[in-house]
Amino acid sequence: MFGWTGNILRVNLTTKSSKKESYSQEFAEKWVGGRGFAVKILYDELKPGIDPLGPDNKFIVALGPIAGIPAPNTGKAVVAAKSPLTGFYGDGNLGTRVSEHLRKAGYDALIVEGKAERPTMLYIEDDKVEFLPADEVWGQGTYATNAWIYGKYGKGVGVLNIGQGGENLNRFAVVRSLEGRAGGRPGMGAVMGSKLLKAIVVKGSRPIPQADPAGMKALGAGDLKKVQQIDKETGWSLQSTTGVLAWCNEVAGLPVRNFRKTHHPDAWKIDGERLNDARIATYGCPNCTMRCGITIHDKEGREAELDYENIGLLGANLEIFDLPQVGSLNYLCDEYGLDTMSAGCVLSFYADAIDRGATSGDFKFGDAERAKELLRMAAFREGKLGNLLAEGSRRMAREFGHNSEAYAMQVKGLEVAAYNCKFIPGQALAFGVAAIGAHHREAWIITFELKNTTRESYGPEKAAKVIELQRIRGGMFEFIVACRFPWIELGWPVDNYPKYFNTVTGLNWTLDDMWRTGDRIYSLIKLHYLREFPGVTRKADFPPAVWFDPANADSEGPIAGKVLDAEKYDGLLQHYYDQRGYDRRGIPTKDTLKKLDLVREAAAAEKHALLT
Amino acid sequence: MKIKVKMIGPLMYEAGFSEKEIDIPAATTAEALLDLVHISKQRPKIMTRNGKAVAPNEHFEDGDKIAISPLYSGG
Repeated sequence: MFGWTGNILRVNLTTKSSKKESYSQEFAEKWVGGRGFAVKILYDELKPGIDPLGPDNKFIVALGPIAGIPAPNTGKAVVAAKSPLTGFYGDGNLGTRVSEHLRKAGYDALIVEGKAERPTMLYIEDDKVEFLPADEVWGQGTYATNAWIYGKYGKGVGVLNIGQGGENLNRFAVVRSLEGRAGGRPGMGAVMGSKLLKAIVVKGSRPIPQADPAGMKALGAGDLKKVQQIDKETGWSLQSTTGVLAWCNEVAGLPVRNFRKTHHPDAWKIDGERLNDARIATYGCPNCTMRCGITIHDKEGREAELDYENIGLLGANLEIFDLPQVGSLNYLCDEYGLDTMSAGCVLSFYADAIDRGATSGDFKFGDAERAKELLRMAAFREGKLGNLLAEGSRRMAREFGHNSEAYAMQVKGLEVAAYNCKFIPGQALAFGVAAIGAHHREAWIITFELKNTTRESYGPEKAAKVIELQRIRGGMFEFIVACRFPWIELGWPVDNYPKYFNTVTGLNWTLDDMWRTGDRIYSLIKLHYLREFPGVTRKADFPPAVWFDPANADSEGPIAGKVLDAEKYDGLLQHYYDQRGYDRRGIPTKDTLKKLDLVREAAAAEKHALLT
Repeated sequence: MKIKVKMIGPLMYEAGFSEKEIDIPAATTAEALLDLVHISKQRPKIMTRNGKAVAPNEHFEDGDKIAISPLYSGG
């Protein structure tokens, strides 16, 4: 077997035991890796209805055939589990040296089961697996934990760790690595915390099996230089992702005041130009030549690494137009190990709920100092309010009543990324049908909608574009496990990726093979959802109700008087279902499942719910 | 006539300004504006006029706010 190590490491924290398990070439080619491995393992091994924060949940780290191999931009890992935020399959990817080290230790995936007796650090070095005490850093933030680990093992090892948010089972706690990397938005950090697993450290020393190592070395090294050159020519990383804030502000797509407004005259104060001017350092992932982590001094003088989602949701959406203060909020999220996007939406929802009279409190939009306190309370679950904030916006809304769910900016429980779709139908669909909830990672079609279609359209071309991007972004990049940025931001041709894949595996895959695998993975995530929520309806794929509310329309600007049309959105959703081969609930039909070679998985789903 | 032009992201370094008001002949098209602000026509981009996308042959009106941006892809 080339490209894959052929091994998965299974670790049980309860029994402090580990086992190296091999898998077949057939399994490898069917699920490839990353999200594919994770969804298949969790589907087969988790009983529906288990508590995501209980010992029966499993925490997965999964890599793909090109993960860790020097090529553009392969320093990523997928983390996955049943989500405590959404109640079904959840995952995320993050830049980490674990991608290289776990593969060099001889594994393509790690399955963590059970629950430790005391705070634990899992140490993996080739065949050695150790369960080490982590009491010393339990209660510490991710920066101190990272420093503690580096002090023991040096900076070259692969590290995944959690902060106080994960320890205290905050439902939007993430997994962290390196200086500013984070992943696993739907509470993957809380799953680690529930197992008393503070950190995973990996050191590998073996070569990763490849069909043509010399060819891959030459190809990867050459292409890394080419990507670097394109970045230099286009100037993309001068502002990285943060450049998009000013554009969203121009086209009425910026989240402001819990997404109630779409633009703001002070947005320039926190935009990419200001960030680049304030830059003190730049960080990135392993095997990356277009580093995107712009780092500034926050209000307290600490290093804070920011990207667009951070300034969008912790800045504009909270009406905090003070860059160092936004940096402080971002630093605290990173320190506590909280997802910055959900954190921004949770706080904006809370301020909005107070404004509406749905609850009482002293937090107002624009109050950065109080926002810092609230983040701490959410991370530590301090008091009744901290406990409530830690639950995420959907659960908060149910607690508040007063039609609050309409204003909770989430889909399936996962908070919306920083694009205001009050009148961007295709992107609203992209959030509605994203596999794990309202993530921007899988499809982002706003420039396509504005440039190539009519913004007002709810036509099939928008559904087709969402599917096209899901296959690439949520599919291929998540199962071969590489960063999508060279392709998506610099125009690095997408057909380079099958080339890398074929060079390491010795196979002869085309992009169509990639799309089919992506479709299989999307369908299995849907079956996960169905098993957990057998009464699912298409309403689960609708974005927040406030986007359909005429009373919430802008009073001025490019989309004055306009909001999404519910009936037309329903039609757009049907276009998506029809093109995907899903039924009217948004579940793959038996015929679709058969075509995707998911007959066995379909039979397992039918024990719990109806397939059509 | 006068229009306000805003450059988004790295285009501001290529054009040499972030935002400014410029005087243009009344018949100036969107495509011709690119020459006036020194942005390569070959570069993938999107131009908006008062928040709405414009076609290459579109004309402007006095007081328009034009934004020229790379084709961002949502990270």
